[in-house]
This record gives sequence, C-alpha cells and structure tokens, in this order.
Amino acid sequence: MNVIETSGLCKQFGSHFAVDHVAMAVPEGCVYGFIGPNGAGKSTTMKMLLGLCHPTAGHVQLLGKAMNDQNRLALLRQTGSLIENPSCYGHLTAEENLQIVADLKGVDKKDIDRVLDIVHLQKDRRRKVGQYSLGMRQRLGIAMALLGGPRLLILDEPTNGLDPAGIQEMRALIAGMPRECGTSVLISSHLLSELEQIIDQVGIINRGRLLFQGPLTELQKHSRGDVVLRLLHPEQGAAVLQRSGLTVRREQQDLLLPPLRDARLAELVQALAAAGAGVVGVTVRSCTLEEIFLNLTESGVSAQ
Amino acid sequence: MLHHCIAAENRKLRGSPIWVVFFLLPLLSAAYGTFNFLQNQGVLRFNWYNLWTQHTLFYALFFFSPLVGLYAAYLWRLEHLGHNWNLIMSQPVPPLYLFMAKLAVVFKMALLTQGWMLTLYLLSGRLWAKLPGLPPAEVFLWALRGALAAAPVIALQLLLAMLIRSFAVPILIALGCGLAGVVLSSRGLGLVWPYSLMIAGMNSNKTEDALAGSEFSFVLSCLVFLAVFLLAADCLLRKQDVKA
Repeated sequence: MNVIETSGLCKQFGSHFAVDHVAMAVPEGCVYGFIGPNGAGKSTTMKMLLGLCHPTAGHVQLLGKAMNDQNRLALLRQTGSLIENPSCYGHLTAEENLQIVADLKGVDKKDIDRVLDIVHLQKDRRRKVGQYSLGMRQRLGIAMALLGGPRLLILDEPTNGLDPAGIQEMRALIAGMPRECGTSVLISSHLLSELEQIIDQVGIINRGRLLFQGPLTELQKHSRGDVVLRLLHPEQGAAVLQRSGLTVRREQQDLLLPPLRDARLAELVQALAAAGAGVVGVTVRSCTLEEIFLNLTESGVSAQ
Repeated sequence: MLHHCIAAENRKLRGSPIWVVFFLLPLLSAAYGTFNFLQNQGVLRFNWYNLWTQHTLFYALFFFSPLVGLYAAYLWRLEHLGHNWNLIMSQPVPPLYLFMAKLAVVFKMALLTQGWMLTLYLLSGRLWAKLPGLPPAEVFLWALRGALAAAPVIALQLLLAMLIRSFAVPILIALGCGLAGVVLSSRGLGLVWPYSLMIAGMNSNKTEDALAGSEFSFVLSCLVFLAVFLLAADCLLRKQDVKA
C-alpha cells in the first residue's frame, strides 16, 4: 500500500506552475527522500498533501483515503509534519509548546516525555524556546510531529540549520522510524547526499516536475557515466565514431563518448580496431548520485 | 475538541505581556472618567449614575475596542511571528475551532476586563469621589450587556488580526471604528454598526436606559454580527492557502 499517492497534482500561481502534474507514490514503511533545488516545488507539494494549500488540479491520497474535507481530520490525526520553518511559541518552554500540540491533537500528556527523549531535549524542556538554537528548534519541531505516534511523517528540510553532528543525529532518528515506530517518512532536502544514506525511495523534483521516482537503487543505475577512449590515432577514431552517429568530445588525447550500453560499446571498439585507430584503453566513468541529481535537474529530462 | 483548542489558547497566554495592558488601560480609563466627573460638577449631578456615564463614556468609546483589538492582535501575532500557521492548520481540529478558541479566550479576557472596570468604578466612586450610598443595580446589567456587545467586536477584531499581519493596524482600525460608532449612535444607527453596540449596551453617557424597548433588537444585532464574522472566518480559513 502507498501511504501517499498523488495524481496530476498541480499548483499554479498566475501563469507559473509551482507544481506541475506530479504523480507521487510513497510506499508504506519506507523513508522517501523528496529531493530538489530551492524553489523546485517541494514545500508546495508537501503543503498540498496536508491540505494547507489547495491544488489547482489533481488528487491527493494519504493512508489510502482521499485528502478532502470529509477525511481531513482523521488523516491529520495519523500524520505528523514539520513544514518550512520549525514552528514554536518563543515565550513558552518546550514542554508548554508540546502541551499545546498535545491539546490540539488530543494526545495524552505522557507522550511528551517520550518525544522529548527521542529528540534529546529532556534537559532543556523547561527552557524558553526563544532561547533555543535553530537546531534545538528543529528537534522540537520533530518532537511536535512525533506526538501521538503518527503513521506518516512529513518533514520539510528538517536538517536545515543543523551542524554536521545534528544532521547525523537527525538521520539516525529518521532512518529508524519505519522499523522502530512503524512510521513511514517523507523527507525533503535540496541535497541528495544528505539523505542518500537513509532513504529507500527517492523522488527528484525540479521546476514543479517530478523528474525521477523510484527506489534509490534504480537511481544508482543511472550512475553510468561517460566512456573514455584512449586511442593511438584519435583523429581516425573520431571520424569512425561520428560516422556511427555519436557525439564525440575531445579531452586532451582522450575521446569522450556519452553513456553507452555494453553491447553497443563492444561494437564500437571492434569498429575502431578494424579501422586501425589503435584502441589502447576503454574506461567507463561513474557518476556520483549528486551528479545524477544535477544532470536530471539541469536537463529536466524525466528518468521515470 | 473545541475545549482542547481553548486549553491550547489559554496556555499561549502564560507569561504574556498582555496582562499588563489588561491591568493598566481600564485603570487609565477609570482615572480619566472620575477626574472628568469631579471637574464637571457644575453640569453633572453628584451621584453614582453620573459617575457611570463618565466612566463608560471613555471606556466604551476610546478604550474598549482598541483593548479587545489588542487582545485579538496579540493572539494572532503569536501565530504570525512563530511561523505557526503551518503548525496549527495541520492539527486534527476544524479550522473554525481554532478561531472560536481565540474568540473564547479574548471573550474571557473581555469579561475579566469588564469585571476590573466595574471594580474600578466602585472603588473610585467610594474612595476617590466619596459618593454616598450604593451604585444603582442597573449598572451590573449594563456591564453584562456590554460584555455581550463585546462578542461581535472581538470576532471582527480577530478576523482583522488574522488577515492583517501588522500588530498595530487592527488596533488603529478598532480605534477609528469605535469613534465612528459614536457618530452612528448619535444618529440612531447604533444597532447596525458593531462598534456602536458597546456604547448602547453599556448605556454610555446616558442616565436613562438607551436600550429601553429595544433589548431584543440589541441582542439580535449582536448575534447576527457574531454569526456573520464567524462564517467569514470559517470561509477564509477553509478556502485560503496557508501562508506561514
């Protein structure tokens, strides 16, 4: 079952599509990384999932039910969220802030202890939140989202403003959610590298369009990069390759070819050898996930 | 569910600077009213009725609307400042309950303010003006009517403070609308302008009952305005996108 499913989801501001026909599917029990540069449409999509923002077109389903006026409260009762910036009442303590959310969620106050433990804020529970660092506020925001043990967590850039140790801690916390609490997580970031250690599924969005969606392992298959050919007679080899319809780039003595399937590459090597280009070496470069992400977002090509 | 929302709103008032204003503004109004009463003894009779008119004249005309406007603006300011719109609107409560909880809390504060105003009236009459006897029983009824008239003003001020992110603008609007209420009251249009209802309910600046015979219209007007503002709030909260 998918805990989140959208179809044809759009949000238009004037003539600009902030979210453009997004079809998202988040399977139950996974950590889904929603990745895209700033302004790509991540927050708007997440706000539409929660009913904070009304779609121009399309549908949203959470936990198998349509997100509409009729189901909204029942769905929100099973969903925890942290959207955009961590929300809080600065003149109150962390405990009082959590009591407010517990009141609104109708959750037992005993749960406050549990979530404070999870985010390691027990020691500072009676400090005014106005005196908290951004990282502590982020953790408080997560604690608020965790109140009541939701089945689904929607977290919008929760690692923003955290130091490396804080990011590591947050990763460990989120990675364990499906296993330890049975909670599925949708988490956004503008950096794939920040989340690749903890996510199973990934969705890449840019300019409102979902460019890739699927298991992280699937994305890694796209990591096959350029082919580097070292030839004794590069000019001769380049002519052969161009006749085969390939775009060839020159890098000092080497020729660079776009990513190719193994069978096609074998054919080309044979042709080069037959033409007397003198094949000295063939290397296949591999892209990092960050490069794949950049390739996808820069070209806007869908890899779904 | 609504009582959970009210409990949450009450928590937000802890340690809030709003209590200072709650305490000081009626004090200022009472001081001004008593001073005016004592300085105009040539025109006013030396009795509890006339002290009431002077107290409520300043209180109902100049202080009450901006005061409830301030309470309302403060409660929404907490949401505007802390990026809290996303937080409250993603909770499993109907959006109108969030508004009604604020209404209940500001109404509670308005009732406390009325009580404080009444206490100050009694104290300044007895200890400062040294009036003989007891105040007329009607003043308690008028204070109660004032509290009822406060409800639509509070709802409208909450609506304005919800839409206008500035803290001061809704309070200035309350002041301006309160003054416009004086003009409309003097033209007999007091029941069609929410900010005039307070003047009529409190019987400000009148020794005879300004609402004699029209109590039903007064209550009806209060309820209709309240219903209209609640409907508007519900509609806006449901239809508008949340901007934190």
